[in-house]
Amino acid sequence: MDIIILILIVFFAGAVLTAFSEKISTLVQDILFLGTLIVPAILFFTGVEMNTDTIISFNKVPLNLGMTPLSYYFALIVMGLAVLTGVYTVGQMKGKKRKGYFYLNYILSIGAMFGILMSKDLVSFFIFWEIMTWASYLIVIYNGKNVQKIGIKYFVMSAIGAYAMLMAIVLTHSLTGSFLISDLISGFGSWDHGMQILIPVLLLVGFGVKAAIMPLHIWAPDAYSNSPMSYTAIFSGALSKMGVYGMVIVFLALLTKVPEGALIRDIVAWMAAITAAISTLYAIKQDDAKRLLAFSSIGQLGYIVIGVAIGTPMAMLAGLFLAFMHGVFKSTLFMVVGAVEKQTGTTDFTEITGLIRKMPWTFLAALISIIALAGIPPLGGFVGKWMLYESLIQSDHFMLVTLVFFSSTAAFLYCYKILFGFFLGQEEKEWSHVKEAPALMVVPMIILSIISVVLGTFPQLIMKPINAAMTFYGMPDTYGVLWKESMLFNKWGSDIALTPIMYGIMAIFIVVAIFLFFRNRSRTRYVTTKDISTSGEIPKEHENLTFTRGFFQPFLRAVEPVMRKQIDKYMLSFAQGIEDLFEFTRRIYNGNGQSYAIYAMIFLIILLVLGKNLFG
Amino acid sequence: MVGSPVLFVAIPLLAAFIIPLTGMMWKNSVRVIPGLVLAFMFFLSISLMGYVNEHGTIVEVLAGWKPPIGINLVFSPFTGFLTTLMTFLGFIVWLYSYKFKRNVDFEPSMKYFMLLMLLVTGSVGIVLTGDIFNMFVFIEIVSISGYGLTSFYTRRDSAEAAFKFLFMGAIASTFLLIAIMIIYSQLGTLNIADIAEKMPMMDHKLKVLSLVFFILAIGVEAEIFPLNGWAPDVYTEAPGPIGAAFAGIVVKAAIYASVRLVYTMYDFSGAFDLFIIIGLITFIMAETTALRQDRLKRMLAYSSIGQMGLVMIAFGIGTKEGVYAALFLMFNHAIIKSLLFFSGSYLVFNKKNKYIKHVNGMGKYLPITSVLFTIGAFAIIGLPPFAGFWSKLAILTAAADNKMVVLIAVILIISILEAVYYLRVVNRIYFYDKKEKTEPKKPSLNALVAMISLGVIVLVIGFYPDLISGILDRAAADLLDKGNYIKDVLTLNK
Repeated sequence: MDIIILILIVFFAGAVLTAFSEKISTLVQDILFLGTLIVPAILFFTGVEMNTDTIISFNKVPLNLGMTPLSYYFALIVMGLAVLTGVYTVGQMKGKKRKGYFYLNYILSIGAMFGILMSKDLVSFFIFWEIMTWASYLIVIYNGKNVQKIGIKYFVMSAIGAYAMLMAIVLTHSLTGSFLISDLISGFGSWDHGMQILIPVLLLVGFGVKAAIMPLHIWAPDAYSNSPMSYTAIFSGALSKMGVYGMVIVFLALLTKVPEGALIRDIVAWMAAITAAISTLYAIKQDDAKRLLAFSSIGQLGYIVIGVAIGTPMAMLAGLFLAFMHGVFKSTLFMVVGAVEKQTGTTDFTEITGLIRKMPWTFLAALISIIALAGIPPLGGFVGKWMLYESLIQSDHFMLVTLVFFSSTAAFLYCYKILFGFFLGQEEKEWSHVKEAPALMVVPMIILSIISVVLGTFPQLIMKPINAAMTFYGMPDTYGVLWKESMLFNKWGSDIALTPIMYGIMAIFIVVAIFLFFRNRSRTRYVTTKDISTSGEIPKEHENLTFTRGFFQPFLRAVEPVMRKQIDKYMLSFAQGIEDLFEFTRRIYNGNGQSYAIYAMIFLIILLVLGKNLFG
Repeated sequence: MVGSPVLFVAIPLLAAFIIPLTGMMWKNSVRVIPGLVLAFMFFLSISLMGYVNEHGTIVEVLAGWKPPIGINLVFSPFTGFLTTLMTFLGFIVWLYSYKFKRNVDFEPSMKYFMLLMLLVTGSVGIVLTGDIFNMFVFIEIVSISGYGLTSFYTRRDSAEAAFKFLFMGAIASTFLLIAIMIIYSQLGTLNIADIAEKMPMMDHKLKVLSLVFFILAIGVEAEIFPLNGWAPDVYTEAPGPIGAAFAGIVVKAAIYASVRLVYTMYDFSGAFDLFIIIGLITFIMAETTALRQDRLKRMLAYSSIGQMGLVMIAFGIGTKEGVYAALFLMFNHAIIKSLLFFSGSYLVFNKKNKYIKHVNGMGKYLPITSVLFTIGAFAIIGLPPFAGFWSKLAILTAAADNKMVVLIAVILIISILEAVYYLRVVNRIYFYDKKEKTEPKKPSLNALVAMISLGVIVLVIGFYPDLISGILDRAAADLLDKGNYIKDVLTLNK
């Protein structure tokens, strides 16, 4: 049997078995769950070969499965994260209700993502896309909080995207007579002009929803922050990348063939940049770690999409590299928040303080991923961001680079907030019972942190598959050329390389830190937030004097005008208006038999009048 | 050949007369005999389908009078497909409601099962018959058993609903009769094949007039906008399974009748556009109205009407892909909507007015029923890997092949609404807390079997659409081949 089909069968059968094994015992269920994630990963890394087609032949629509270099690259993210997050999930979901329901949808969505990546035709792409959508929808509403609003918002936005995509798919079929992606790409150049614009735009709408690009992002903050954190790690780390995956194909293979492509590229890049900037501001404003990370995810996806949309080899490289890195560090951060939530019961910055001595490993993971997120050398985020800036400057997008730079700098503020809010600051008695999260949760976080350190130091590890993916879609071979030509890795001046400087700076920091640590150790005094001796007033027990209360108020006051307009609200009021309009149509059915008879007569008269025109 | 198509009509009518007599001797026979009859009809139609696949269309001549003079039944791949679907659903409805009113005395249950059987018989008759007057008779059989079933619970509301239905039905039959009269006065024949052959000779004005009357009359049964005002009331007030029977059987028959008119009898190409327009308006109106409903069955009723609009659109496209999509939609709609009606009526069992809010928290109490409802909801929205997806893909592909870009966009936008109102219910099932103190009723075994078999079909077709696509292909080809139909029926004359 073909290995891709085998993997899919393992996923789907495993999902069902896991769901039903709840009755047997939780241990069996957990083992089944992990097995269903690990076995396909092993099969994938050992058995799947590039460019072999598997055809499930249906009478009307044959489904083609197979792997391309691009999908291999994204499958690395999905399968790797699936296993690591899976381990974490077992730890985090311990003792929760409805585990079967959660595991079922978890595995289904991962299997669907794998299916998306392995699809070589648009129908199977769409099938797996929709499975992914409804499985993730069922997880978004898993908490049961505000499901009608958050869940429906997510589903409606997803449906808008999916149906736009479906429209593009059937139009493609009518133009080429086949559903194959390769036929879409090869036939695209010869279509009439309207279709050449319409189809990429429809596809971009479809992918843009999952990649949370303004104005299609409105589902994301709520959906990200309402799913259990162990799933949000997948949601933001892998699921959103499916949108990026689709966009890469559109930008690389389709829009290069149309003259208007450049305009669409710029529009998408600008929308992504604005998304990045605004959502960064929103992230700064949040007092809840989940929402903060949700907004931060949207912002980071913005960078990735900018890179993909600009589409010069360097920009594409930067976008794809960031996509991987974002998958690594952002899921670590979501895991950190999940761990904090599990141990303390809340994710509010203004309540939790000083967890560093209680959860040191979690802190370490958070620290490393935040350094990566902020783009500080030598971690992975730095490499990606540097290349993004460089590519934007090289392609003369100076305004864009300013905006990206602004949001990336502002991102430092919220990075600081995560670290400080949870881990640093004075300790509170309230949290003295908190212990380190269980090993099942800590180990994946640490592994992911190590990955982000390694990739920051040796970016060539994933530059190779990225390069293969880009050349597959007709880009020049950049391996060893482009990313080494980037300022970052080039010899600076005559022969001063940047990398040693980076590590030199790091070494100095570490030495100083160790020095300070040992020097001050004996003099360290641990204080609580109530230990204030300056004001002359003794704080009451109930007063919240946590450091993070009212963080960044002056800054937020300064940027408040930008944030006042919320697309979310416009869209909601639009939806409300539409529903009110339907109230009007509902009244046509007024329940009165006489009116119905009158309708019938009106219908008859209309038909008789129109009869001449209609029937010739 | 195992049996003859005439048994589809003869056996149930005979049984309907016998049931009251046997009921006096053995009370349970009023339940068992209809079930046996429906099962027999289902197996008969399956075996006939097998025969038709090999030997071509069966034309059954009654009482030795050959067409165009006598009455004939046509069992072709197209009508056979619909017959199989209807009898299957009839059987499933019977299975679901086997224990219906078990504990009450046998009078109501006798009426219920007899009327149900007649409803199926009439619908099958509409599909099989080869002449328009018989079609009128069968439509009347369906309508009258429909009135009876609607007013089954002798309550004020159900009487009102039945009266509205009767009122509209009366208008419909009047116009139907007028249309038949026009045709007969002009062409001197009632046989569909004969009419189709002679149609070019008819006066143009009268041709238009008769078609308009036909559409008006059949449109009432087919629940097209604006003739469908009666439908939501009937679906709400009739006993639970009857909603499924209406959605799955009666409406299908009416759609068949209108399709037969446009595809075979008349030669207007403009009628196809009319189908698209009517279908689109029905679709939009019904789906938008469904969004604002607060009663579960009413919501399902509007959704059903909307789906029928979609079927009309697909038939209006007029190509083979279009017909294929339409048949696929009909099949899916019959299965899925019955599943929704079945499971939905357990979710709101014994609640006054059956508001949507009554499903709150039922996921915990009725897990299997809730899962089945969820599968049905996902399938009707058109999410893969459930059956509904393939029909949606088929209709969109058919529309795209005819360059109807706007149509695709409208269908898709309205489909979003559909997703919204179904998911609202699903969310309530699982994530709201149950407020009422009353214990929810667990489905009886036979009902569970009926629902699960429908759910399995939804999943199996979803994963493997080829099971049905061959049959649908042949049926679509058969419908489009007008010359063949005429030849099949009229060559018997020679």
